[in-house]
Amino acid sequence: MATATPEIATTEISASESTTAQAAPERALVAKRPYPGALVVVEGIDGSGKSTQLYLLKRWLEIGGYRIHFTEWNSSPLVKSATRRGKQRRLLTPTTFSLLHAADFADRWERQIMPLLQGGYLVLADRYIYTAFARDAARGCSPHWLRNLYSFAPIPDITFYFRAPLDVAVTRIIAGRPKLKYYEAGMDLGISLDRTESFRIFQEKILNNYDQMVETDRFVLMDGTMRVNKLQKLMRQLLGERIDLAHFAPKRKRK
Amino acid sequence: MKRSRANSAPVAPGNGRPAKRAKKRLKAQADRDSRFYGNPLPGVKPEELSGNLIVVEGTDGSGRSTQISLLTEWLEGEGFAVETMGLRRSFLVGEDIDGLLAENAVTRMTLALMYSTDFFDQLERRILPALRSGLIVLADRYIFTLIARAAVRGIGRDYLHGIYEIALRPDLTFWLNVRPEVAFDREFKKSQTISYWESGRDMSLSNDLFQSFIRYQSMIKREFEYLSKRHGFIELDGEGSVSDVNRLLRTRIASQLGIRGTYYKPSHALAHLWH
Repeated sequence: MATATPEIATTEISASESTTAQAAPERALVAKRPYPGALVVVEGIDGSGKSTQLYLLKRWLEIGGYRIHFTEWNSSPLVKSATRRGKQRRLLTPTTFSLLHAADFADRWERQIMPLLQGGYLVLADRYIYTAFARDAARGCSPHWLRNLYSFAPIPDITFYFRAPLDVAVTRIIAGRPKLKYYEAGMDLGISLDRTESFRIFQEKILNNYDQMVETDRFVLMDGTMRVNKLQKLMRQLLGERIDLAHFAPKRKRK
Repeated sequence: MKRSRANSAPVAPGNGRPAKRAKKRLKAQADRDSRFYGNPLPGVKPEELSGNLIVVEGTDGSGRSTQISLLTEWLEGEGFAVETMGLRRSFLVGEDIDGLLAENAVTRMTLALMYSTDFFDQLERRILPALRSGLIVLADRYIFTLIARAAVRGIGRDYLHGIYEIALRPDLTFWLNVRPEVAFDREFKKSQTISYWESGRDMSLSNDLFQSFIRYQSMIKREFEYLSKRHGFIELDGEGSVSDVNRLLRTRIASQLGIRGTYYKPSHALAHLWH
């Protein structure tokens, strides 16, 4: 019988907070975690090439038969209708925007990420809590409040930060899209009435916020202007150095 | 201003560090006088908020909603414009939470964060504008219920206080305290059943619905006792008659708002609530 007393409760959460706080020592293989799985994250502004690279990494691992799961920011079906309503009708404030995304993340954390990490999976995340730290802070939420909000999230084993110069990233996005969306362009901040201009300034703020986390959150810096296949080769190599991939490899039948 | 019994209680002498105690008390008082618990919500100027926020907390069956109906009528009669807020009443996610609860597909952290979205949507888009216009806001539950419910489900209190530190601090917080057994009787009388969530059935406390309700409500009550001390609630005996509890509420609110008389007799429409 599961009786959740407040006392047990507090230790439970503060335990995960203390993992957050302590600086993990430099290590080559899977660090000591309360679960056998591993968590790989890509971060970066729109147009930095992170999703393409994670997709290629995922294909490589899938083809190899590895035990993996792919999860994407802002994709929980449970929270989707609320997010859509909020965005379409422009009801979201910096705080509710942030909380809805946290609810979305919590749903994936409780129902996918944690169970799979405990089940020994390699979890690949396209954007993670650092997206919230960079973007919601650019909207005016307090960094301290944001860090607390996501303090339940496990720290990734490796966080690839794809960095491309602002111009390169912005050009990539604008070329590929007929119209920038309202929140995507940061129009709610009232920086500029011109969407492209607003998007540019918003992305610049986010980029600065990301840059500040490189040290504190131990990002692995990836040059988003490198050729796709070269960058992917590097990504696979770094992954192999940090994570014991054999751990997630398909079990060979003995002959 | 007297905020609660807990905070106005005299400090026991002879503890050896009176200065430190006094300093702590002063700091606590200064904290309570600011309009937010921590940093205010992004973009809010506290000095613009001229209205009053009055919170009524208490479990289902504590008479909360009845008292709010009566207080609304009294205040309107006194010439104050009233706005109300409550749980799951936001346009943004109110219905979504209803859906999640009905499907029972949601886990504790997601639910806690959906409730906080619901809370801040109401606060930012309805309550703060009302307070800027000088209205009286009556809140049928506030962050305290949300904190208590999540805390008994194992989410850390500091974590929860961290989320709600950007919330507006109420001018008055009443806690209608009733024993779980009394709440059970009243709830059962009202709806002929006990709700899944109000009896904490998601927590597997007991297969017996009555036992589950009592255990769950006792846990919530313990959280409220802690919150009451931390936040200076005005605790009222929710087991008293509707008119007695209402008189106590009116007296305290009248002094907050500077209303002279507290005479009130419910209109015909609300007379059935009065006993």
